[in-house]
Amino acid sequence: MDIVVCVKTNPDPQMVRIKDREPVIEAVPFKLGDLDKNALETAIQVRDAAGGKVVALTVAETNRKIKETIKDALAMGADEAVIVDDPAAATLDQAGVATVIAAAVKKLPACDLLLFGEGSSDNYTGQVPSRVAEKLGVPQVGYARKVEAAGDAVRCERSMDEMIETLELPLPAAVTVVSEINEPRIPSLMHIMKAGSKPTQVWSLADIGLDAGALAPKQEVLSNLAEEQDRKHIVFEGTVAEQAEAFVNALVKEGVVGR
Amino acid sequence: MEKVECIVVGGGLAGLSAAYGLAGAGAEVMVLERGDYAGAKNVTGGRLYVSPIRGFYPELWEEAPFERPVARELITMMGDGAHTTFELASDHLVAGPPQSYTVVRARLDQWLAEKVGEKGGMVVPGMKVDELLRKDGRIVGIRAGEDEIGADVVVVAEGVLRLLAEPAGLAARPDEKDHALGYKEVIELPAGVIEDRWNLNPGEGAAQLFLGTVTDGMMGGGFLYTNKESISLGVVVGMHAMKADGREIESHQLLERFKELPQIKPLVAGGTVAEYSAHAIPEGGIAKVPRLYGDGYVLAGDAAGLSLNALVTVRGMDFAIASGYHAAQAMLRAKAAGDFSAAGLASYEAALRDSFVLKDLETARAYPQFMEVPRLFRQYPTAVSRLFEDVFTVGPGPTPPLVKKAWRGVKRDFLRPSTLQDAWLARKL
Repeated sequence: MDIVVCVKTNPDPQMVRIKDREPVIEAVPFKLGDLDKNALETAIQVRDAAGGKVVALTVAETNRKIKETIKDALAMGADEAVIVDDPAAATLDQAGVATVIAAAVKKLPACDLLLFGEGSSDNYTGQVPSRVAEKLGVPQVGYARKVEAAGDAVRCERSMDEMIETLELPLPAAVTVVSEINEPRIPSLMHIMKAGSKPTQVWSLADIGLDAGALAPKQEVLSNLAEEQDRKHIVFEGTVAEQAEAFVNALVKEGVVGR
Repeated sequence: MEKVECIVVGGGLAGLSAAYGLAGAGAEVMVLERGDYAGAKNVTGGRLYVSPIRGFYPELWEEAPFERPVARELITMMGDGAHTTFELASDHLVAGPPQSYTVVRARLDQWLAEKVGEKGGMVVPGMKVDELLRKDGRIVGIRAGEDEIGADVVVVAEGVLRLLAEPAGLAARPDEKDHALGYKEVIELPAGVIEDRWNLNPGEGAAQLFLGTVTDGMMGGGFLYTNKESISLGVVVGMHAMKADGREIESHQLLERFKELPQIKPLVAGGTVAEYSAHAIPEGGIAKVPRLYGDGYVLAGDAAGLSLNALVTVRGMDFAIASGYHAAQAMLRAKAAGDFSAAGLASYEAALRDSFVLKDLETARAYPQFMEVPRLFRQYPTAVSRLFEDVFTVGPGPTPPLVKKAWRGVKRDFLRPSTLQDAWLARKL
C-alpha cells in the first residue's frame, strides 16, 4: 500500500514564549507536529504489515530549516520525503495548503492512503485533511484511533460518544488520526544516520502545475487572541481548616473539582 | 558496527568548535547532543572573550549572533547595607574589535550548529550517548540506546558532569570541592532601559560581578550581563562552601535574595523573568585538569575542566572554543598520519600547552586556593564599603581630616595578621 503522510513543521510549542500577547518564535527550533508523528507511526505500521511505501509530504512555510526537520520523518521510517517549497507558501491559508497538497499527491506516482494528524500543533484548524479529500474526491474518516489495511480497503476505528465505530473505506482514502492511536517511535541514532541518504524531493508550485497568484488567501486573520479573563482575587480568611473548606467549596462551585 | 571518522559528544561550544574545524576540512563528523537543540542544556550567562580566539575561525566571529560588546566592567563589593562599585569605562574595551561580548547561549550554540551543518557536519540533537565504548584499552566509539557507532576519534565534550568520561576512566569523578553551582535568570528589559540603567551607548553592554553578601559570605559571587533586550543575572556559590556552611538557606534562594537587595532591585525593576536555570561549574583550576587525550579520544571544554575564575575575569567559553579548535587540528593531523592512538593525538595537549588555554590556567594556579579564604567573601567587601562610608560621611560635629578617616578604616579592617596572611597568599595571583 502506498501511503502519503502529510506533515507540518512548526516552532516547538514548548519553547515558544508569549511576550506582549505575541508568540516569540525567534531562536525556537522547528519540529514535526505531535499528531503528525502519530500519523507517521500509523503509516509505518500499516506499511510494515501490508507492504508498500511511505512518503512524507510537507508544504514549507517560510521555514528555512525544512530539510533538516523533514529528516525526522525519514528517521522515524518514512521511505521518501517530498517538500513543496515556494516563497508563496508562506502566506497560504487552509484552502491554499489543501490545493497544494492535492496537486502534489496527484504528481506522486501512487497514493492509496492519505494520512494526517487530526490538527496541527500550532493553529489546529483541522481543516486541511477534509479539504484535500474533497479536492481529490476520496472518502475521509476523522478521529481514527486504529487504522489497518484490509485488502483493497482500509479499516478504521473511531471513538464516538458512547460507542466505537468501525468503518471500512475503499482505497484511495484519507484518514486523520488522534493521539491515542499509538506512541510515535523515537528514532534511533542508526535510523537518524540513514535518514540523510533517503530520497528527498523539493518541488516548487510550478512543478506541481500551480500558480501562486491563484492561491491568494481568501480569508484574513484579524486576531487569534484568547479572551482575557480577570482573576477573581478571592481571599479566604479564618483558621486553616476554615480556609481549606471555603477554598474547596469555591473550587466545587466553579466546577473545577468534584464534577 | 557502523562507523564514522569522528563522533563529538556534546553540542556546546567545545564540541561544535571541534566539529566545525573537522567538517570544514572535509572530515566526517557527527555531533550528538543530549538536549533538544544545541545550547539547550547550557546555562552560561554569559560573556565570551573573543580576543583570545579571534584567530580561530575568523570568518565566524564577524557574523556571530553576539548580544553586546562589553564597554563597561563593574565590580561591586557588597557589605551589609552598603555596596562599593568600581567601574571601568574604557575606549580600549570596544575600540577596534571589541575584547568581549555578552552572549545568549541558546542563540549562539544553535547558530554554530547550523554552521557545522553548512560545512557538512551532522548535528543530532535529542540524542543521549549512554556509554563510550572501549576495546583493548582504546575508545572505539559510543553507544546510544541500542545503537553502537564506531569512530576513529571521539571528542568528549560532554560538559562538566563527566557522565561518560568518568565511567570510561578518562577523568576523575567531579569533586564537590572543585565545583560551584550557578543559578541564573534571564530578565527581559527593553534595550533603552538597559542602556539607561548601565549608562551605555546604544548597542554597547556592561558586565558586572558582585562579591560579598551576595553569597552570604560563602565562596562565590554574583554576575550580571546585559544582553540585547534582557539581562542575565545570577549567583555562583561553591558547592563545598554551601554544604559545609550548614545554614538554613538553600543555594537557589541566594538569587532571590540578591534580587531583593535595595541596591539591585532598581536594576531589575519592571523586568520579566524569561528563563531560570542552574548548572555546575568547574573551578578546580589547572591542578584538576585531567590528561586531555588518549587512544581514540580527546577531552575538551568543561569536560576537561577548562574554566577559570580569576575573580575579576570569569572564563570558560573561550577555552571551550580554543580546545575544540585544537582538538580538530590534532584529529586532522592524526588522520593524515593514520594514527589515532594516544601518540597520534598527543599534539592536542601540546597545542593547548602552547596556547593561552593551559598557560592562563597555569598562571592562575593559585586562584582556587586563594578562593578558599573566607574573608574574601564577607570581611573584605564589607570593609571596603565601610572605608568608603567613612570617607564620605559628614557628621553633625567636626569632620576628621580625610587621610585620618581613611587610615582609621585601614587600621581597623586591614592591618590584621589575617589580612597579611591573605596578602601573602595573594602574591601569587
